[in-house]
This record gives sequence, structure tokens and C-alpha cells, in this order.
Amino acid sequence: MYKTSFRYLNLLFFTLLVLLTFSFFLPYLFPGDLISNMSGVTPATDAQRDALERSLKLDQSIFHQFGQYLKNIYEGEWGVNKVTFLSINSEVREFLPATIELVFYALVLAIFVGIPIGVLSGIKHHGIFDFTTVSFSIAGYSFPVFWLAMIFITVFCLQLGWLPTSGRIDLLYDIPTKTGFIMIDIALSDVDYKSQAYQNAISHLILPTLSVSIVTMAIFIRFVRRSMMDVMTKEYIVAAKSRGFSTAQIVFKHGLKNSLIPILPILALQVSTLITNVMIVETIFSWPGIGKWLIEAIYQQNYPAIRIGMLVVSVLVLVMTISIEFLTRLLDPNRENVEHATV
Amino acid sequence: MQRFNHYQEEYYPSPLMHVWIEFKRSHIALAGFVILSIFIFIALFGDLIAPFDPSQQNTNAILLPPSWEPNGTIIHIFGTDSLGRDVFSRILYACQITFGVSILIVMVAAFVGVSLGVVAGLLSGLRSSIVNHLFDSIMAIPTLLIAIIIVAILGTGLSNAMLAITLALIPQFVHQTRTFVKTELQKDYVMLDKLDGASRRRIFFSSILPGMLELIVVQATLAISIAIIDISALGFLNLGATTGMTELGQMLSQSLDVAYVSPWLVTLPGLFIFLMVFSVNIVGEGLRSALRNRLKL
Amino acid sequence: MRDSQGFNCRLALLMYGVILLSGCSPASIDNVNNAFSYCSESNPGSFNPQLDTSSTTADASAHLIYDRLLEFNPQNGRIIPGLASSWKISDDGLVYTFQLRRGVVFHSTNYFSPSRNFNADDVIFSLERWRNPQHPFHEINGGTYPYFESIGLSSRIKHVKRINGYRIEVELFEPNSAFLANLATDFAVVLSAEYANYLKDQGMPSQIDRKPIGTGPYQFVSFRQNQHVRYRRHQDYFLPNEGPEQIVYDITQRSSVRMAKLITGECDAIAFPSQSDLSVIEERKELRLLEKPGLNIGFLAFNTQKPPFDNPLVRKAIGLAIDKTSILDAVYLGQAIRAKSLVPSASWAYESSARELGYNPVRAREILQEVGLPDDFELDIWAIPVRRAYNPDAQKMAQLIQRYLRDIGIKSNIISQDWTLFRQNLSLGAHDAVLIGWNADNGDPDNFYRPLLTCDAIPFGTNRAMWCNPEYDRLIELALLSTDIDERRLIYHQANQIIFNEYPIMPIAHAFQYQAFRYDIEGMQINPFGSIRFDNVKRAEFGTLENVQN
Repeated sequence: MYKTSFRYLNLLFFTLLVLLTFSFFLPYLFPGDLISNMSGVTPATDAQRDALERSLKLDQSIFHQFGQYLKNIYEGEWGVNKVTFLSINSEVREFLPATIELVFYALVLAIFVGIPIGVLSGIKHHGIFDFTTVSFSIAGYSFPVFWLAMIFITVFCLQLGWLPTSGRIDLLYDIPTKTGFIMIDIALSDVDYKSQAYQNAISHLILPTLSVSIVTMAIFIRFVRRSMMDVMTKEYIVAAKSRGFSTAQIVFKHGLKNSLIPILPILALQVSTLITNVMIVETIFSWPGIGKWLIEAIYQQNYPAIRIGMLVVSVLVLVMTISIEFLTRLLDPNRENVEHATV
Repeated sequence: MQRFNHYQEEYYPSPLMHVWIEFKRSHIALAGFVILSIFIFIALFGDLIAPFDPSQQNTNAILLPPSWEPNGTIIHIFGTDSLGRDVFSRILYACQITFGVSILIVMVAAFVGVSLGVVAGLLSGLRSSIVNHLFDSIMAIPTLLIAIIIVAILGTGLSNAMLAITLALIPQFVHQTRTFVKTELQKDYVMLDKLDGASRRRIFFSSILPGMLELIVVQATLAISIAIIDISALGFLNLGATTGMTELGQMLSQSLDVAYVSPWLVTLPGLFIFLMVFSVNIVGEGLRSALRNRLKL
Repeated sequence: MRDSQGFNCRLALLMYGVILLSGCSPASIDNVNNAFSYCSESNPGSFNPQLDTSSTTADASAHLIYDRLLEFNPQNGRIIPGLASSWKISDDGLVYTFQLRRGVVFHSTNYFSPSRNFNADDVIFSLERWRNPQHPFHEINGGTYPYFESIGLSSRIKHVKRINGYRIEVELFEPNSAFLANLATDFAVVLSAEYANYLKDQGMPSQIDRKPIGTGPYQFVSFRQNQHVRYRRHQDYFLPNEGPEQIVYDITQRSSVRMAKLITGECDAIAFPSQSDLSVIEERKELRLLEKPGLNIGFLAFNTQKPPFDNPLVRKAIGLAIDKTSILDAVYLGQAIRAKSLVPSASWAYESSARELGYNPVRAREILQEVGLPDDFELDIWAIPVRRAYNPDAQKMAQLIQRYLRDIGIKSNIISQDWTLFRQNLSLGAHDAVLIGWNADNGDPDNFYRPLLTCDAIPFGTNRAMWCNPEYDRLIELALLSTDIDERRLIYHQANQIIFNEYPIMPIAHAFQYQAFRYDIEGMQINPFGSIRFDNVKRAEFGTLENVQN
């Protein structure tokens, strides 16, 4: 147990170091002035430039620079956004929660809808239900997420007029940012229209969540179904059947756990696809998250923001991936090597 | 027709043939195969069958509806866009770029990834561990993020988008190959070769590689569908193909401005991306279950 | 540097603090129900139109946050009193005396509470800031005041004098028939001198343009880049103010998304509806559309300081190669008038018989052959990335032009970047040719002729052709000295002739202006003179859509 934890901490540390090193060298690769690429401040005078150089240790060896960079990252001195003149740290703290919120809802929806469907379809495979879900699942992960989002907007916003197209909440509701998670912020705020604000926030949430979730859900359904089919033919299941247990008993006692554990590594593999989709959906629904922020940074050639944004998003993905793998290991210590997708 | 055979039960089709027989049994897979073949045909000969030059503008015929609408004409089957360009020809060219580029990307990624994967699989000890960790960390970075970084360094353009997606696809091939090589190396038939005194080279080329081809093909179909979605997503975000080119995602994004008067300009490119990915996925799925069924027998 | 970084941190903290604080002020459901949301097209560069000629900046500040000494009547363009209740011009036309209004209150926000009302000090501060290079606030936030500098107004004022607390005097070097009109433009806003002093004491003078204080009908609450700007009604505004409690600018760059938000009702009104969507707006019964011939011009400006565009023949050849009619059809969809010279027909200086180049690619080829361009010559066409009244879709226009240029054997590339970045690079003169335009700030033709093409305007980013012609400048000066319209008209016609001969820009179109909004909004209007105003905007009380007749 300790050994496993240690191994995963080691893995996390090592990969973090690789990412940090990579992001450290990025400003050297970006076009333009090195100092403003690093700090986000365009020095106006020579004195200012010298001072900046000294504070970034550019006058010393590359190792000192790297050390200073690590120190700055650790202390939250992430530089200044070239366009808004705000500190990048405060911006990330504002936008990252919105992304995490969307990822969370999408994952919850994908898990709680995708897994039961996959299980049912795996038990009664080759039936009508199975055929429908398999078709849905293949179609689901063939949808380019941006097109799906646009179909949703056309149908639910423009034709039916049921749901809004953009943002996390109607801008007219002035909810102060405290945690960055809108649902929590509404609860913490002292506005006297909380229930309306909640209704409004939920109506904004539905379409982005659905767009991100459907692709992930489709993949879950497919893998759960396959895994369930494999498990249900195993000898211990046959043995249980012959002892006269009902299908429901068998599924809940043996089937579920054994078929869901192999799903976890696939979940881990899906995290990076999920984040890519979230970033695209954010730009379409103007969801004020880190993905939209990062894509706008690219349009504005805002290099300090790109550097930090890249680091933050990949750390988010990394932490999610490694914790899922760690969880898999805890649930099933016998697995020698965590396998990723299988044929 | 097979030649007459008294002992029918002794007829064993070759593994490849066997997969094809299994594959044919699913009508859906076969339908997907037909659609995919059409796309392959377009990718190869799209420019020959296109009735118009995709960049030929005609300001006297802008935003013509497709031929199935009451005002449509048969000359422009899918109508025209806001500069009077023929949408059918543009879609053919765009399919050529989107699909062709995706296949190219996957071929490069597969070659590089498999080679690296083999090396990583044959390594052992600390070196293997370091290589594995390195690839794990690269795998954690989403495609879009890699693309953003590459665009930030090199600027927008189709070739930069291609580079980004190739880089993003390689680790998956590495991972698959490495796991495969590792497990195969521990199997008895390899042990047999070893005891016979075969060199590592020989073991790899004559024993492991033939079994790996199927894995690569299956992984490649998966990768093609990912590549199509990614390249069109980058085009959609204006990080991929530039205005001078015709690419499905970029076409869709540019048509958004006239989405209310000419909705088909948004629908058609999206539909083609979907069909393309759908057919690749169906064929991939069909291949996978055919392989699985063959191994079961 | 230590200072600068410390400063940035404080700035960030302060901004963050404001966001937190703004929530603590009373927020009632009234703020939500009696509110108005406007989908704007881009981020304002700052909240001070003195610093910027971009209409986005003006739209987000000029008529919401600020007032001017004088105003235009939006119906007829006449100058009417603003913060100056009356004014007097001396007989020689050199001395202007303004009597100021009493009892005008500045905004009281969570970042500043004024201790006194508006008076002469504020006017003098606002004028001196852009006029006097020695003024302590002149250099703050860039130190360029493009509108005033491009029309050379700073050097025309001899001095500004305070006579008493509510009376000031401005003396000019020579008579200037456009002076009053310039004081009524979006750019001549009145800032608070007390706020400026307060900020200077706090050591954060640059906040003056980022967190503005004015006297206008709405006060600033918060701004998030690429997201929104929030305003609250100024309760003590000096005029009756029955507008909505809250106004939110929803920053939405794509016109298709703005249109979607208008349809779903997320926005009550939108900026720059797409030309092709106008028919859709007219068909839908929940949407309304206003239309007015615009005082604007869209054009293609050649960078005349960059070879080979320093040669008028090359410029003319390109002009000859492009068929304007097809641009009017495909880009403006017919909703514009063909431009022959600078001013549209609504202006008294319009010349109906002005000469213009026709479409003649054969002649264009001949000229180019005579001039002899290098073989590897490629032209970068810069196309504005945003929608403007004068150019609804520069990208599309650039693609059309690209095709025409290919016909005469010139290869071209289309350059488009983020709007802020685009303007920065344009000011550096990085372009070969740019598709851009101009919206009138006042009804005077000087507002077209001077900022767009005079030598003085080059450093301030309004003369995108970077063209300098002494003869032209002399004529434009001459026109200002006279108050006789007929005389001035003749002078401007001479200027048109020079423009035609030298061809620094290719005039394309004068477009109609549109305002799209939802059925339950009353009192929307189009302001032909500059930025948007929401003076009389109200949400109608009548119930549901079904009861509304279209």
C-alpha cells in the first residue's frame, strides 16, 4: 500500500518536473521579446528592463533561471497577463473552477447514465435494446463535439427557445466570485434572488454539459458493455448461475465490480479527450473557463498566459489521470501493469 | 469458386481471409465499408470529379440554395456560399484535405510510434521506466493543448496543425506497441525461439511483428477517427487550415456568419465530418469484432 | 522593476477587491428585471474615448459614463447644450466662453466618492490632459490622443482659462469653423479632476481610464476581458433618467452568436447585425430593426510609404483591377451606396460628379507592365477582424479582392489578427494595404478629410494610407478658415480631385447603419454622430409576445 502510494507520488513528481522544464523553455521558443514573453510586462525603459532581467535571473546561468522559475511558480508569481494587465494567478483562479465544474458535471452525467446503460446492454446483448445502444454509442463518439454543440444550440435555443446559448449565468445576475464555482458562489452570496439565480445557472449548464458528456458517455457504454459481456461468460458467473442465483443477484454481487474495474484505466485515458472537448465547448458556449481563456490567449498572442495556461491544464489532466490509475491499483492490487485501452 | 474439396471441414481460410469472412457477416460494418470506400475515392480523385474550381467566385450567384430546395439549381447541387463558390466542389476538396491529411498523419504517427514502442518494449530496467514515464506525461497533454503550443511557436497553418496532431497520436502507438511487445516476449513461442538460439532481431521480425500488424491496423482506424475530428476542430477554431484552403472544420466555421439565411452551409460540412468519422468507426468496430471472433474459434 | 511588479500586484489586488466589493452592495431582483443587455462586438481598449478612436471604446464609455460640454441633437446634428448651458463666440471668432451647468454630480462608486460637484476645474483638467504635453496626466496610459492630434486641435488652442467656478474661456490662434463640433464629439468627454488627484495621491494614476468616474447617466461597475462590462444607473444624473437600473455589455465577437443571443433574448439589442441576417430579423416577429443612411466610408488604404505603393500608378492599377459593384453586391448585399470620394451624400460637401476609377483589368495590367513589378511581388491585404458599420465583412471583401488581383497576376495574402493586436501592428505601418473605414464623429466634412488623409494624422493611426501631400493639407486648412458653406464645398471638391489623382485610398462604400433589438425595447435610436446611446431606452410593460402586433 505504502509502496504503491510512493510509486504514484514518484510518477507524479517526475512528470511534473518534465512539464515544468518544458514550460520553462517555452518563452525561448515563442516569437518576440523574451522578457515580455516571460513576465508579461513590456519594459518601457532600459532601467526597467535591467530590473526585470535581474528578477528573472536572466543575467545568471540557466540553472539559476530555472530555480527562480520554480520559486515563482511555487509562490504564485505567475506573471502578468499582457492584455488585461491582471495577474495571471488571479485569472487562473477565476477561470479554472469554471472548467472543473463543467468537467465534473459532464463526468457525473457520463458515469451515471453511461454505466447503467452499458451494464444492461452487456447483460442482454444482441437484443433490440443492445442494438440501439451500440448504434447510439458509435454515433456518439463519431460526433465532432463542435458540431454537436451547434446542433443543440439550433434546436434547443433557436428553434424551441428553451435554453440560453452562452455563459454560466445570465449576466444580469451579479454574483460575486468567491470560490469560482458558480453553484457555491450563489449559495455564499447575499443576493435576494438566489432561487432564480439557481434556476438560471442550471438552465445555462444543461447544453454544455450534455455536449461534452455525450461523447464520453458513448465511450463508456461501449467499454462497459464489452467488459460486462466478458465477465458474464466467466466460470464463476456460470457457477453462481448453476447454484440458482437470480440474474440480478449475480450482476450485483459479482458482475458489476469485476466488469467496472477494467473501465477505470479507460476513464484515465479519456481524461485528455474530455478536456479537449471541454475547451472547444467552452468557446462555443462562451463558458468562462480556462479553455476559452487559453484559446483567446492564442488569438491575442498572449504568451505568458499560454505558458501558464498550458502548465495548469496539463497538471489538471495529469492529476486526474494519476489519481484514477492509483484508484484502480487500490481496488485491484493484483494488476501488475496498468493496461490502457485494449483491442 | 474454390476448387472442389472432399474434406470440407479441413478447409482453413488464411487469417486475413478469416477476418474478412467474419467482417462480412455484419451488414452494418459492410455499409460502413462502402461509405469509407467512397471517401477514399474522393480523397484520391475528388479534384477530378469536382464540377467547379473550389475558389471560383461568382458574385451574381451568391447563397444559392441546394438543388433539393424549391429555388435550387441542378448546376450547383449543394448550392453556393457567400462568395458564390460551388459548395459541392468545395466539399469534395475539403474532404480530400481533411481525410487525406488524417490518413497521412496516422501513417506517420504509426510508423514513428511503433518504432519507438518496439524499442521501449525491448528495453528493460531503469531505462525502460524512464521512457515509459516520459510517454505517460506526454500522453497526459490534450491534443488541443499541444496544438495551441505549436501554433504559438510556429504560427497558424495546416502543416502546423498536422504536426501537432501527429505528436499527439504517437504516444498511443508507443504505448500499445510497448505493452504488446512486453507481453509477447514472455510467451512460450518466443521462449522456444530463444532456446533455438534466435537473435533478438530475428525474434522480433519473424515472431512478434506478424502478430502485431493487426493491432496496428485496429489502432490506426481509431487514430484516423481521432485525427479527422482533431483536424476539423482545429480548423473550426481557426488554428488549422488558413482562409486560402478548403477544410471541413474551417468551412463550417466560416459559414457560421450566414447560418441563419443558409443553414445548409453549416449542416453539410458537419454532416460530412460526421459521416467520415462514423464510417471509420464502424469499420474499425467491425474489424475488432471480426478479429475477436476469429481468435475465439 | 521591483516597483513595477509591486504596483502590478497592488493593481491586481485592487481589481480583485472591486469584484468582491461590488457584490456586497445591495443587489435586488430589480437589478435583474429592470435591466438591459447589449451584445457588443469587442473589448473596449479603455474607458476613456480621448485615448482611442475605436468605436468600441466610445460605445462603452462616451455616452454612458461621460457628458461633454456640448452635444449633438441625434435627429438633426445641431449642436445643443451639454455640461455647458450656454456659450458665446467673440466677433473675431477666436475666443469661446462657456457657461457651465450647476448641480451636476459625479458618480459615487465603491472605488471613489466625490466630495464636490462638477465645476470649471474638471473641464480644464479634461482639456489640458490632451492639449498640454506638460500636464501631469498627459503621459498616463500612452500619452497619445489620436482624435485631437489627428485633427491638430491641440496646436490650435492658445490657452484655456478659468474665469470663475462655472465659466471658462478658450482662445484659439485662428478661427476654426469646426471647433464647437469637435467639442461635441465622443472624444471630448469631461473627466473628474478630483478623482485624478485622488488617484495621483494613491500612486495609481493609470486607473483613471480603467475605472472611470464621469457625470454620465450610467456608472461603471465592472469589466471582464472578453466577457462583460457592467454599469449601474447614476441615481443623481442631472437630466431625468428613467433608463434601466442596470446595463450589461455582453462582449460577443461573432455576429452569428450575437444574433443567436438576440433570438433567445439573452441580449436585448446587438451591435452590427450581419448584412445577411437583416432579412431574418425583419421576418421574425420578436425582433425589430432600425435603418439609417450612415455617415461613414469603407475604403482600401494603400500604405503609401512602402514601395511599390509609393507610386500612384501602382495604386491606381489596383483600383482599376477591382470591381466595386460586385463588392457592393456580395459584401454589403446592396445595403450601401457606392463611394466616389470621401463624404456620403448626406453631407453638404458631397460631390455628385466626383471622378472615380471604373473597373478595367486590361488597363490595370498595362499599367503594371509599364511600372514593372518584381516577379516575386506579393501583396498583404489586411482585413479588420471585426464588423463595422462601414465594412460588415472585411474578410469576405479581402477574398473578393484577392480574386481580382489574381486576375491581373498579383498574388496576395489576407492578414487578420485579434483586433487589439491588429491595430498595434497597423500603427507600425506593417501593412501593404488595409480594408478599413471611418465613422463620422460629427457632421462636418472636416471630420472626414482631416483625420483620414492629412500629414498630421499619420502618427495617430487615423491616416492608414500614411499619405502626406502638402497641397492637400493646404486645402483642408483653407476650408476651416471659412464659414461660408459654398466656398468650403468648392475647396473640398478640389481636394477630391487630388485624392483621385494620387489615389492613396480606394473609396468603396457608404453603408447603411442598422440597430437590431427585441420587441419589448422602446426608445432605441441610431446615433449617426458617433457612439451608441441608451438615453431613452426602456423595457415596454406590455405582456407577452402574442399580444404584440408586428
